[in-house]
Amino acid sequence: MEAPFDACVIGTGAGGGVALQELCEAGLSVVALDRGPELGPADFDEDELRVVIRDALFSPEQLETFRRHPGEPAAPGRYNQLAHAVGGAFTRWAGWAWRLREDEFRVLSTEGPVEGAHLADWPLSYRELEPFYERAERDFGVAGVAGANPFETPRRLPSGGAGYPLPPHPVRRGAEVFEQAARRLGRHPFPLPVAINPKPYGGRPRCTWGGACQGFGCPIHAKASTLSVCLPRARATGRLDLRPESRVVELVADASGRVRAARYLDREGREREVRARHFFLAANAIGSAHLLLLSRSARFPEGLANGSGQVGRNLMLHHGATVRVILDEPALGHTGFEAFRALDDFHPSDPKRGFIRGGVIAEVSAFTRQPLVYALHLAGDPRLDRGFGEELMRSLEEYPRALTLGSVLEDLPMEDNRVDLDPEVHDADGIPVPRITRRQHPNDIAMNRWFRERLLELGEACGGSRVFPLRVPGVTWIDEEHPVRGGAHLMGTCRMGTNPERSVVDAFGRAHQVPNLWIVDGSVFPTAAGYNPTLTILALAYRAVDHFLRAMRRLDA
Amino acid sequence: MNRPRLPSRRRFLLEVAGAGGALALGLVWPRPRAARAARASATPALLSPAEWRAAGAALERILPSDSGPGAREAGCLNFLDKSLLHEDAHLAPLVRSGLAGLDAVAAARRPGAVFAVLSPEEQDAVLAGLAGGELPGWPPEPPPRAFFDVLRLEALLGFLCDPRHGGNRDFAGWRRLGYPGPAHAAGGYTPEQMRGTAPIRPIWKRRPGREPAAPAPAGGASGHEG
Repeated sequence: MEAPFDACVIGTGAGGGVALQELCEAGLSVVALDRGPELGPADFDEDELRVVIRDALFSPEQLETFRRHPGEPAAPGRYNQLAHAVGGAFTRWAGWAWRLREDEFRVLSTEGPVEGAHLADWPLSYRELEPFYERAERDFGVAGVAGANPFETPRRLPSGGAGYPLPPHPVRRGAEVFEQAARRLGRHPFPLPVAINPKPYGGRPRCTWGGACQGFGCPIHAKASTLSVCLPRARATGRLDLRPESRVVELVADASGRVRAARYLDREGREREVRARHFFLAANAIGSAHLLLLSRSARFPEGLANGSGQVGRNLMLHHGATVRVILDEPALGHTGFEAFRALDDFHPSDPKRGFIRGGVIAEVSAFTRQPLVYALHLAGDPRLDRGFGEELMRSLEEYPRALTLGSVLEDLPMEDNRVDLDPEVHDADGIPVPRITRRQHPNDIAMNRWFRERLLELGEACGGSRVFPLRVPGVTWIDEEHPVRGGAHLMGTCRMGTNPERSVVDAFGRAHQVPNLWIVDGSVFPTAAGYNPTLTILALAYRAVDHFLRAMRRLDA
Repeated sequence: MNRPRLPSRRRFLLEVAGAGGALALGLVWPRPRAARAARASATPALLSPAEWRAAGAALERILPSDSGPGAREAGCLNFLDKSLLHEDAHLAPLVRSGLAGLDAVAAARRPGAVFAVLSPEEQDAVLAGLAGGELPGWPPEPPPRAFFDVLRLEALLGFLCDPRHGGNRDFAGWRRLGYPGPAHAAGGYTPEQMRGTAPIRPIWKRRPGREPAAPAPAGGASGHEG
């Protein structure tokens, strides 16, 4: 029988990548399991139909169900933007690398309770996380300009933590138009921080600004990811045993309540078991909750580490108002990467607006980067009278001049917004699929509508012939009937907190009920914040492993 | 938890279909690629001659060629045929019954007529009826709007996909849109091209091989460093 590893990492996206890198470099023996294959630059081309529309590269077998209300039947489909591959969705991210604002760590004490929302403070402060933000920015190479965003929490000055490790990128025309328009309105646009190389860094080349970035793997590793940063470092130690196409179906607990082994299916569907002393779960807010709920035992009848009943609850996905501008000149959305300029003027919470919380605005290429996504969103646009013929053709021909303004907006946690096990639909391995139940809080809908108005103002200031909201229900447009059904920012479902009866993990990501289980992905977020979550997932993972290693060394001493 | 059952893949298909997931299926289940089939043949592999004729006429009204390349030039019909045989096979029954519906509506308007012989104006009126969800003479199945949505989806996929999938022949769709083609393999773009102060060479004007989207600057390659 195989000797137990020091640590087992489950899921190899952002959080799992940091965990396996840090654990290996600390001298531990590590086994890392991912349900998908190991892809590399040779697999990463720009075939939009295969990679984005059919999603046949990153998660060909993904299946979930969705419903709005408990008690309703749930419809099978693919809702969240997952990636069942080594490196996870971190391979295809947009590279936006934010530190959260100070107040985003204490939403409950800032805002007070809100009816229908399950608000909470994070059990840690910005200042406690800051050293780990610095490490993440350094290891993954974030490009930006410190202090350019007057609404960010001021950065600590000493110890080289003042600036970003890399300067900003040259800018695309559409972002320049947005920046100038925003300044005319008295706003404060700034270079959006990205973990993409503007020059060679960390042994990786500079970005070629070739366009197909978010949604795709980087063919030259200019974009930071598990594949480009963590795996090479971990492998260099000789202590990593990476097992692709190894799908964990149960964390097996022993009588003392510790995890003893991970039971998984290998690529042939054979059941195997791997033992370890410590387990780091990073399967994202859908997958981690799903696995804990699958891992039932006499000691944990409602799922592993789920004495609080909070596992799977408070699922947050963000939402975003989106506006289209047709310029009189090329916007060049197919060049560069997802976004170059952002503004945070509307980010700070102001209850006088009729809702609490806020988010960030940016010029984005998500819907103009490539022809199919542009055309398919257009085809569903109710502004088109008929949606075919010459009318459709004229809209298609606007593609080069199409500019998109988008936003990342904080959604409030709700206990009934959750992931659980679908009682009817099973996947190819016979496992119940994740069932998503989700509505949108009235605060989200009010915020989305208000931001849409601000984006329309910004769009008007950009000039051009037409400005209009992109109306894709549940994606760029939300209302009571059309909540966001799936996303790429997967948060909540295993929230961190100090009270074991109301949270799943502690301030370091360690499960309250299972002393050798750590959760290091977006599922631990108590609230969603108005920024993309990745840099915070990375920072929390660094902090979790750091805490774990210190405790282990104390025991050894 | 219980030991997982390890059912056959076929059983999985049935379970999902039974749960009403027919539409999700094609996305979930990778099939042999339509690309090879489309390259191998530009003649019908799945559609009957009557279906082929009706589909061609409808696609050419959805993406007309009146003022530039459309479905005809891009080979959308061939793409549809191969797509329905492979990746989107789950949509084939809906499309085929819808194509029969088009001919039935035409015959109701003019005895003996099929959709393909209607005038462009008549064809547009039929498509508008489908898009609006109501059309006199339409059979009980499939739902008119669902058929229209699928037909338009396949039209756009065939118009704008990478030509390796059998559509977008000679970059007809990309030319119409003004999308210059993938750039990574050609070395990406320069800062001047991103700002619009230097021209971008579209893929149909690049020579085969790895010629950059940007004309190479004097004295060095325009590819990435390091």
